Amino acid sequence: MGEERVKARALENRPGWIASINPWVLKIKNNPERVAFVLHRVTGVLMALIIMAHIFVTGTPARVGWEAWVEEISKAHGITAVTLYFFFFAGIAWFHGLNGIRLILTEFFGVCIGKPEKPKPPYLAPSLKACQRRLLYLVFALWAVLWVLTGYIVFG
Amino acid sequence: MPRKSVIQTWFQYVTGILLIFLLTWHLLVRVPWLRGVESFADTLAPELVYHEITAYGVLLLIFAYAALLHGFNGLKNVLLEWTSGRYKGLITAIIVILFFIFAGLATYTVVGVKPLG
Repeated sequence: MGEERVKARALENRPGWIASINPWVLKIKNNPERVAFVLHRVTGVLMALIIMAHIFVTGTPARVGWEAWVEEISKAHGITAVTLYFFFFAGIAWFHGLNGIRLILTEFFGVCIGKPEKPKPPYLAPSLKACQRRLLYLVFALWAVLWVLTGYIVFG
Repeated sequence: MPRKSVIQTWFQYVTGILLIFLLTWHLLVRVPWLRGVESFADTLAPELVYHEITAYGVLLLIFAYAALLHGFNGLKNVLLEWTSGRYKGLITAIIVILFFIFAGLATYTVVGVKPLG
């Protein structure tokens, strides 16, 4: 009985890893920071995995030789697996990098998070009204612009 | 002496700041107009890539190490959170082994690059 109660209490705080990335269970109403948090995690995990492939592929001239490299880059014209890889990798990197700048400014340097205030109902955290929200919208806008520009460069 | 968790957080921020500059540079060298070539594929030409590796090898290595440290440390944190810290030793060991494998591969890419024929 006692053991079941402990288990139930522990489960409340453990929705599982799928819940942390499932867009249907995210409470995102007036909470773009939550969207950015999830996207930062997803892009971060993807980048950590892609970096391994990137290091392996860019090591071709040292491992195999320049002939193999030339053969590899001959596939970098138009819409191919190689250019799609660059396009998605750059898009992931743009979001993670731009949002990373916002996080460094707000969390590391304490810029744009507003001043603490006396909580009055209905309570809204000052940081959610501060200029970091505008920074966040700027991150989304710049991400879209830079990703489109990347597509123009890579596929153009 | 600061706590381990504080050092780890700072480590992630410092490597993050470093990566912002290095990643910007790494992406800009693939912009054709800035390299005086016609297309994206031309920026990957062996002459340009060989010049990048030999002239900016140290910078590329700092970039690779910083990216691997930042990326793997972040991945480790996410995995530890998802598993509620149950497999801490195993996850840390796998991450450390992966870091040394790919840091070694990155080093070999710069140090062992073959001259253009």
